[in-house]
Amino acid sequence: MVDLEKLKSIAKETVSRDDVKYLIGWRQGTYGFRVSPHFVEKPEEAEELIFSPLCTNNLASYLVLPEKLPLPRGVEPDSRKVALMVKGCDSRAVVQQIVEQGIKRDEIIVIGCPCEGVIDLEKVEERFPNQLESVTAQWSNGKIIFHLPEGNEEIPKEEVLATKCLTCRYPNPVLSDLMLGDEVETWGDEKYEDVKELEAKDPQERWSFWEEAFSSCVRCYSCRNVCPMCYCEDCILDRLNPTWINRSNNASENTAFHLARAFHLAGRCIECGECERVCPAGIPLTKLNRKLSKVVQENYEYIPGIDPESKPFQSSYRPEDQEDFIL
Amino acid sequence: MKENGNPYKPEIATVEDTWYETYGERSIKTFKVVLDDEKARENWGHRPGQCAMIGLLGVGESMISISCSPTEGNFLRFSVLRLGKVTGALHELEPGDKMTVRGPYGNSFPVDDWKGKKILTIGGGIGQAPLRPIVEYVRANRDEYEDLTLIYGARTSEDLVFKSEFEALGKQDDINCHLSIDIEEEGWPHYVGFVPSLLMEVNPSPENTIAITCGPPIMIRFVLENLKKLNFADEQIYTTLENRMKCGIGKCGRCNVGGLYVCKDGPVFSYATLKDVPEAFA
Amino acid sequence: MDTKKLSKDKLGEFVAVLAKQNKLYIPQKEGENLKFKPLSGDQEELDFPRITTVPPKDVFFPQTETLYRFEQGGTDISFPKEEEEAVVLGIRPCDARAMAIMDSLFSWDIDDPYFLNKREKTTLIGLACLEPGVNCFCTSVGGGPASTEGLDILLTDLGEDYLLQVLTEKGGKIKLSVEELLEEAAEDDLDTAEKLVKEATSKIGRSINTDGIQEKLPELWESPLWKNLSNSCLGCGICTFLCPTCHCFDIQDEMEGLEGRRCRVWDSCMFEEYTLHASGHNPRPSRRERLRNRINHKYSYFVQNFGKIACVGCGRCIDLCPVNIDVLDILSQVVKEAI
Repeated sequence: MVDLEKLKSIAKETVSRDDVKYLIGWRQGTYGFRVSPHFVEKPEEAEELIFSPLCTNNLASYLVLPEKLPLPRGVEPDSRKVALMVKGCDSRAVVQQIVEQGIKRDEIIVIGCPCEGVIDLEKVEERFPNQLESVTAQWSNGKIIFHLPEGNEEIPKEEVLATKCLTCRYPNPVLSDLMLGDEVETWGDEKYEDVKELEAKDPQERWSFWEEAFSSCVRCYSCRNVCPMCYCEDCILDRLNPTWINRSNNASENTAFHLARAFHLAGRCIECGECERVCPAGIPLTKLNRKLSKVVQENYEYIPGIDPESKPFQSSYRPEDQEDFIL
Repeated sequence: MKENGNPYKPEIATVEDTWYETYGERSIKTFKVVLDDEKARENWGHRPGQCAMIGLLGVGESMISISCSPTEGNFLRFSVLRLGKVTGALHELEPGDKMTVRGPYGNSFPVDDWKGKKILTIGGGIGQAPLRPIVEYVRANRDEYEDLTLIYGARTSEDLVFKSEFEALGKQDDINCHLSIDIEEEGWPHYVGFVPSLLMEVNPSPENTIAITCGPPIMIRFVLENLKKLNFADEQIYTTLENRMKCGIGKCGRCNVGGLYVCKDGPVFSYATLKDVPEAFA
Repeated sequence: MDTKKLSKDKLGEFVAVLAKQNKLYIPQKEGENLKFKPLSGDQEELDFPRITTVPPKDVFFPQTETLYRFEQGGTDISFPKEEEEAVVLGIRPCDARAMAIMDSLFSWDIDDPYFLNKREKTTLIGLACLEPGVNCFCTSVGGGPASTEGLDILLTDLGEDYLLQVLTEKGGKIKLSVEELLEEAAEDDLDTAEKLVKEATSKIGRSINTDGIQEKLPELWESPLWKNLSNSCLGCGICTFLCPTCHCFDIQDEMEGLEGRRCRVWDSCMFEEYTLHASGHNPRPSRRERLRNRINHKYSYFVQNFGKIACVGCGRCIDLCPVNIDVLDILSQVVKEAI
């Protein structure tokens, strides 16, 4: 359990440092069960920080999201560190970013938050509809307690947790400069049941499944933008000269978009599930990414985002690597 | 879908002549084009300052200033800087080739209101393209205007557009022509320095004068500053803006500065209108 | 006003008649996404969701629309055929008001034939909102659960029946075509409907005072508000693509083999490319400027140009924002700061 007072005092201390730009954490959102990323620049802003089962956002995305604007002549780039609160899955994104040299280890301060699983907002909002007043929540012995205006509600974790959390193998941050609270016991195992379910279908069935899913895409690119691993400065989706993927929305272009993204994430996706969480069309993107994770893991024993000293999967080669798929 | 009155329907036009104004990676090429459809040609009737969407089927369209005055004849001129996908493809065109044209779009310089006044144009680089129609319009109606002064500069002498025209204009008695380049060059007989400094050097009187400027955003900013120093009133200063555009008719959204749409409410604005508009000089 | 009653038992027949004579759009699922789509024949159960994820603007302003076609190397241009008569059934009053807002833009000085042609040929049958969502705030921006602006017919769910109010000539024509399915409405029914709408209105929990917001926004141009708000913005297109009044588009040429088309596709002011000049210069270089423009456009520029706010209070942008950027929160900060 993360001690909120300790969190706030550490945060205040951190952002008071001259070499720290800001700390990114979570705060209670504007209504109901919503939580918002919180950028703490001044010590007093740390008062709003929280850590709870509602903290779904993977904040590692913000390490790679800021625009690199041209600086006026004579102005040095801001090289101060960014402090970041991470759950287990989020920490894997940070590790993978370090592995790929997307960020440098000494540019960040990682504040680890052992996590017992975060909610699936949809499940919770369905259970407690039209909740306007802010609701806080906490973990408690395999349950989640929601502090509703009319009183507390205890719900068994399995009923409201995000699907990705049910099989989570890394609830404790794999990388941190300091840890808030004790490590939690790991509960998940990885059998890729969801992937196997899809694999069991015949190709025609699978195709219809994905065709319908991709047809429903609105091309808002929230999956790409939220993804902590999607940080290419020049994204293939934006390219117009030549145009790799047309701007028009149809099953064919949308499929090209999602497959291109999935392949670019093979061996890189750390399965935080953010793409699926933010998708307004409800496209089951984790199924796609996890299929590739499974292929990579089974064939190359590679799990991304674990070891900051490792080499990126797609640019490393071992003599014993399988190559029987090469025609 | 109806064809008549469809504002997205382009006219097909034939390239009659082309020539390079400048060379290199960001070359500027001028196209003299004629609309194929006779009726469309007659109905075209653009005014100085207006733009047109020109393009190629299968590639796309770009908003380009019409760089000729209607007084010059029944043709259109576009000077295109090679930058992106569309302008790159346009640069491949040779005489006899076809392009699409729709427009004319936007408002125009109020040349009628300026009659009896002194006209001062201040251009930089490709920014001379929208100013050229004023110069030609005033020349065609020379008696109706007072002094005509042109200030124009580019980075090097190789980057100046309409060079041969400027040479001819420079020899005319009724036109004051001032050229500049940013960097010293051997044999350059004119001013060396930035356009805003040349403006101070020329030191035009604001009395009964209209100043029109167009060029890179940074140049415009300093020219405006200097015009204020020279006591030009906001109402005496005009500029043309450019922004990314797609529709040209105030629908697609992207070219707005504040509540104004550059394609529809512009591209010509008086400084009096623009000075309080957010992002006008962003 | 012509008021009738439609028994829910006859809803199936009602739909069948409408579908026979018109292209009929109703809310349907595509994958997990809810949107208005043409009835394809074998629609099982009719179900009107509180709101669709994708607003029905795409009936009139499709995400991808062919402006005209051509062949590679050719100069002949062919235009798509005219739209057929259509009916949108089950549109919510907020989404219908959004169409009236878009009308102002698409007929501003120069008519946009693609949009206006579809508007002309389409009848909107609305469904009063009796169960508003948590982020509904239509009443703050000039609407309400039974607002009729933009609608041709309004249905109100009375339990066993729908009260059917004809609002326009177009609506009258549709009514005539289904006349035999309708019953007379009693005075009581009108009272019941009124009561239900009143109850619904009272259930709307969120609000904002938009008085003077048009003037307040430009005053806060340089406020730190925009940087703070945009810190967490992902720069995705959810809030604009799924906004019923957002209408920005891009025009792209697309080739398939030797066949080409010039088409328009939805674009978003939240994307970097939207304002990027070919030179590489971007007048709105970061999410701060883009977010600021989005809010200013909706609540200030649009008001300046058309005398109305380009927001109908449907709450989609709040519901769907992955990082809880909440337009009501933004506006309340604006109001607070401007004082």
